[in-house]
This record gives sequence, C-alpha cells and structure tokens, in this order.
Amino acid sequence: MKKLKGMLGYIWAFLTVIIVLATFMGNDYFSEQLASATGITISPWFSGGEIVKTLDHGTYKTYIHRPVFDALIGEKRKGFIQLNWEPYAGLPPVVQETIDYNGDNRADFLITLNTKTGDASLTAHSPTVLFIERSYGLKKGWAVRVHLQKRS
Amino acid sequence: MKKNTTEASATTRRSLFKTFLLCLPMMLLTFMMLTGGSMPTGGERLFALAATFLFFNLLFFLMVRTGKTDRFRSILFITLAVCFVFSFISNLIAVRGSMALSRATMIEGGAPFCHLVIPMTLIPAVLTKTIIFPGKILGSYSIAGMFVIWIGVSLALGRGLCSWFCFFGGLEDGFSRILKKPIIKNISKKWTYLPYAVLLVVVLMSALTLSPTYCQWLCPFKTVTEFVEITSVKVLIQTIIFVSLFIGLVVVLPILTKRRTQCGLFCPLGALQSVTNKTNVFEIRIDQDKCVQCNKCIRVCPTFSIDEESLGRGRVKASCTKCGKCVDACPQKALFYHVKGTSLSSKLDRYRLLFLYPAFLVLAIIAGRFVQDAMVKAINLITTGTMI
Amino acid sequence: MEAFILGLSNGTTCVAYCAPVLVPYLLGEGKGILQNSVLTAQFLLGRLLGYLLFAVLAWGINRSILQGVSKPDLVIGPAYVVFSLLLIYYGFFKTRTSCKTTCTHGLRHKLMTILPVSIPMIAGFVTGLSLCPPFLLAFTGAVEKTTVIQSMFFFFAFFLGTSIFFIPLPFSGLFRGFSALRIIGRMAAGLIGVYYLYSGIMMLIGGYTI
Repeated sequence: MKKLKGMLGYIWAFLTVIIVLATFMGNDYFSEQLASATGITISPWFSGGEIVKTLDHGTYKTYIHRPVFDALIGEKRKGFIQLNWEPYAGLPPVVQETIDYNGDNRADFLITLNTKTGDASLTAHSPTVLFIERSYGLKKGWAVRVHLQKRS
Repeated sequence: MKKNTTEASATTRRSLFKTFLLCLPMMLLTFMMLTGGSMPTGGERLFALAATFLFFNLLFFLMVRTGKTDRFRSILFITLAVCFVFSFISNLIAVRGSMALSRATMIEGGAPFCHLVIPMTLIPAVLTKTIIFPGKILGSYSIAGMFVIWIGVSLALGRGLCSWFCFFGGLEDGFSRILKKPIIKNISKKWTYLPYAVLLVVVLMSALTLSPTYCQWLCPFKTVTEFVEITSVKVLIQTIIFVSLFIGLVVVLPILTKRRTQCGLFCPLGALQSVTNKTNVFEIRIDQDKCVQCNKCIRVCPTFSIDEESLGRGRVKASCTKCGKCVDACPQKALFYHVKGTSLSSKLDRYRLLFLYPAFLVLAIIAGRFVQDAMVKAINLITTGTMI
Repeated sequence: MEAFILGLSNGTTCVAYCAPVLVPYLLGEGKGILQNSVLTAQFLLGRLLGYLLFAVLAWGINRSILQGVSKPDLVIGPAYVVFSLLLIYYGFFKTRTSCKTTCTHGLRHKLMTILPVSIPMIAGFVTGLSLCPPFLLAFTGAVEKTTVIQSMFFFFAFFLGTSIFFIPLPFSGLFRGFSALRIIGRMAAGLIGVYYLYSGIMMLIGGYTI
C-alpha cells in the first residue's frame, strides 16, 4: 500500500509537467472546447443582449437588442434595452427611431440621435421607460441604452 | 528550543555535469515554448529571445546547482511583474491611447480578463450560463483561455500559482525585499482570515449585482493595468479605493513588513487557491526531528502560512504558495518540498526538483511572453524613439 | 438578496456566539439526528417569528415616520452610516462576544428565566432579539420598504442568510474548528458594513443635492 501510494505520488508529480505543457500548448483548443461545451456567453448586462430585430434603412441599419432584466434567479425590476446604428459612413446627420420594445403594438419611446456629436434624446410614451444613458461611439457605429422598469 | 541551534551542514552542491543534465530538459522545453514553434524575425526579437532564454535557464541552473529556490525564483517573478506592467500599459496606450477603460470598450467586450476575476464569475456562470465580465469568450486575453490556464496551473501547482504564475505577485515580492529588516514585525493572526472574508463577500455581492465586485471596487492592480474612466462620483470613489489599496497593500506594507501583504491578507483568489492546495500533489513539510523551533520560517514566510501550530504538526498551512523562502531560510534544513504519498525520510532534493519542473516551466512560459515583449519595446524605444 | 447576503455574512457569528449557549441545552445527550433536527427547526421557527415581528415594527416606522418626510434618504442615510460604522468596528476590531453586550441582553436573560426555555421555539424567539449591528442594518433596510409584505420578505431573507449555518447543527461535533469561521464571518460582516457606509453616504449626498 505504501509503495503504491509512493508510485502514484511520483506519477502524479510527473504528470504535472504534462498538464502544464498541455495547458499552454493546447490553450486555443481547450478554450474553444470549454466555450462550446458550456455554451457560455458574456452577460447581457455588458454585451447588451442578443439582437432581436434589425431595421434596414438602406445606407444604415438599426439593431434592436432584447430588453435586459436578467437577474441571478428570475428577473430584476429595472433593466435596459440597447440600440445600435451602423455603419458610421451610412448614417444621416440625425436618426430617429420609434420603438415598441415589448411587442404590444404601442410605441414605447422615441429616440433621436445626432450622429455627428453623439447627442441623444428620449421621448418616453410609456411609464416603463425611465431615462437614456449617454450614447457610445463603438468601432462600427453608435449605441445607446434606454433604461426601463417592469410594470408594477 | 528542542536542540541547540547548531549551524546546518553546508548546502550540497551538485556537480556541473549532473546539474547540466538535469537542466537539459528545461532548456528544451523553454526553447520550445518561447519560440512557439517558429523562430522570430527581426534583430531585436531574436536578441530578446536569446537573452530571455539564457536568463531563464541560468536561473534554473542556479536553482538546481545551489539547492536554493526562492532567491532565484524571486528574480524571475519580479522581472515578470515589471515586464508585464510595462508591456500591458504600452499596449493599451498603443491601441486605445490611454489606460482608462471606456464604457464603449466594455460594451464591445474589450476588457482583458485576468485570473483575479475567476472566483466572482463562478456562481453566475453556473446559474445564468453567462460570464459577468465585459470581455471576450475567445481570443486574446480571453475568458475561456484564462480559465483553461487557471485550471491547468491549479491542478499542477495548487496555490503555487501565487508564486509561480501570478503576474501581479512579483510587485509585492519586489517591494518586500527592499529593506533588510522589517519595521512592522507582528501582524495579528486574525488578519490572515481576511482573504476568506473578502472572497465570501465579493462572491456573494457579484452574484447579487451580476457585476465583478472585486474588479469594480477593490482590485489594487488596476493602478498598474487599466481602470474605468472617471465619469461619476461612484467611479471616483472606486478609483480612490483601489489606488489607496495599491499604495497600502502592494507598496507600503510589503516594504515595512517584508511580507506579501496583498497576497497573504487580502487576495480572494489566493483564498480560493488555498482550497486547491488540499488536493495538490506538492507540499512543504517540516522535519520535526531537525526543527529547533528558531521560528525563522515563521518570520520569513511571505504569506503568513507558517505558525507555531504548523511546526507542531509538521505541515505548513493551506495558504502556502510554495515559494521556497522558508526552505531556503531554515538553518537546519528542516523544511522541504515533498510529494504526497512518497517517503518522508530521505532524498529530499528529488521532491524539490519534481516540483521545480512544472513550477519553473509555468513561470518561464508566462514570463517569456512579457519579458520578450518588454525587451523588444525597450530596444525600439532606445533605437528609434518609439516603442512600436 | 441584499438582506440574504447581510444574513449570510453574519450567519457564522450568529451560530458561533449565540448557539453554543443554547445548543447543549437544546440537544442534550443521546438524541438522534431526526429529533435534533426537529428541535433545531423549532428553534429556527422561533427566531423567524422574532424577526417577522421586527419586520412589522420596521414597516410601522416607515408608515408613521418615513412617509411624512420629504427626503427619506436623509433619515435612512445617517442610520446606514452609523450602523455601518458599528458593523465595521464589530467586524474588524471587537474581540469580545457580542451576545452579552447587546442592549437587549438583560431583557433576553429575564425572559429566559420567566418563560420555559426548554421550549426551543421560545428560546429561538428570545435569541432573535439580539440587536447586533448586522441586525440593525437589516432593520434599517427593512424600514425603507413601503409595504409590510416587502418588509417581512426582507427579514425573511436575512433570516435565511443567518440560518444556513444552523443547518449542520443536528449533526454533532460542529463546533470544533469554528473559531476560524467565526473570524471570517465577522470580517465579512465588517466588509458588508463598508458597503452600507458607502450606500449611506451616497444617500446623504443624493438627499442634499436634489
């Protein structure tokens, strides 16, 4: 038993070198496997959530993300919705979008964005729409987040 | 005192030939990992590769020949930290123009992921299948990549990650070696439990808020990497906190105590890594027949992992980072690296070598990238006036 | 969730300091795990009832005092600041046991002599009256809630957080090596105090700048 334990100890100790080499040499492979096996994604609180609708305006597109209310379990009372406009080159001086984010066929808010300065303004048509964060100039276009709350 | 404090026998030196033979595998492995399979082009890159290779293997050679671990480990560990900071900051400035991280960059997943975030992401990852960090799942400085490294290094070294991988630890290690003697000698034992409290709170708060609490509020290393641009009172308070923690825990206290105070008294990842030490094959043991209870090991341990109780049990605490400082410091050679399951009685240096191979390999691989990059940038800066 | 975390961060302290007084009495000797579990459950139910009573009290304070105030943050904010400083002191610097030094200790002692403490539920109810700093912060948090249900839910979450550490009690030998857990729990509570200190200060700043 003692000899077996000793042997296992030595084997394990030698294996650590293999583990280290495999970790670094196979990092790309293992990370891809880990990502696909777990199906893990970036939290929508950072990424903005999945794009659920695309509005094609010819020279530019508006990407509407899903409303984000995600909590650890269930949903939070307050969240946001992210809108993107791309590409920079195809954007008119001012873009305006009327958004129905909850699919009830009623406009929830109107957003106006000055694509030269990045100034954005919000006209809320629903009590669930709270306020707008400032606009963000991303690599390909502009993004804004409109803060929402669930109906009480 | 159990015995008289007699001088330990002189460190047995291996012959040059035997040392060279033992270093040969490391030379081959480091060459393979530093080149990544292809030789670099350009004079400065070739020079950086050659210098890095020689530097690393000289340190390993000295480790093997002299039987001293920490003295040479710390040189490379501190070099890693300095080069990492230099390389990271210069890359940020080249790509973004500043160290500040904008909200736009976070929305696009541009924040590099580091290992300190890992504890906070676990519960949300299990329950929501998302990572609460504004980074990328795959790619450079990616989340999946760092997770793979963390798993692999933890399996191989346990909490040895803190002294052989963490590219931040070298900063404190360096500051802790400035003074010859500590000015603050006694730190209450209760503070060694603070990392576990920090771990508990940041894990729970991160799960509650679905955001990386430690990164946002506490991580002192944002001072030397990147930080959120100050656009509100909240972010200003966060900035004041992390800068204060850096000055206090990473610079001032290590100088005054000659210990790694951030690692030993605050870091939540360190607390988590202590758990991995329980299952790791390598450990530090104390030969109670040789120990004369001079307590030198207790005084030198950078992470407060040895106390009188440890000496009584013949084992160091789970917070041990396997840096080797106690092993080098013990005048009786009572402390030694050990492989679990094997005999405790003899051939002590064999266990140290078995540990040194994976440990130094990890350190060389992670340091190689940043040391070479820093060297190339320094050469470019000297010769052309710009780093790129 | 906030209340749960407050309770969780303090839970080890609750068990380590208060339970050793009652657990030997409750559990006695030779009782099986099932019987011990029933006794512990009764004890916890008593604690829950005590907490829910305070939840109603908190809601009452909200209705009677806070509703009439134009800037409630200027009331809650200072309370958070004071209690959080107490919690930070309690978490990092206080070395003696907390149960004896709370202001309700005398009342609890008296109740335990009058009422039949052998009934676990009553013992649990009485120990729930301990006004430790984490409890005070939880109480302040509950005062902010506008409905009695929200206040009770808040305290229920706090109770859950503290009670998780009571779950292993029916199994013997749990108090061995508890000193480390006690220190960690107190320090975690102190760190939560820092969070509440920040919240309190922001409430004060927000209250004054509107």
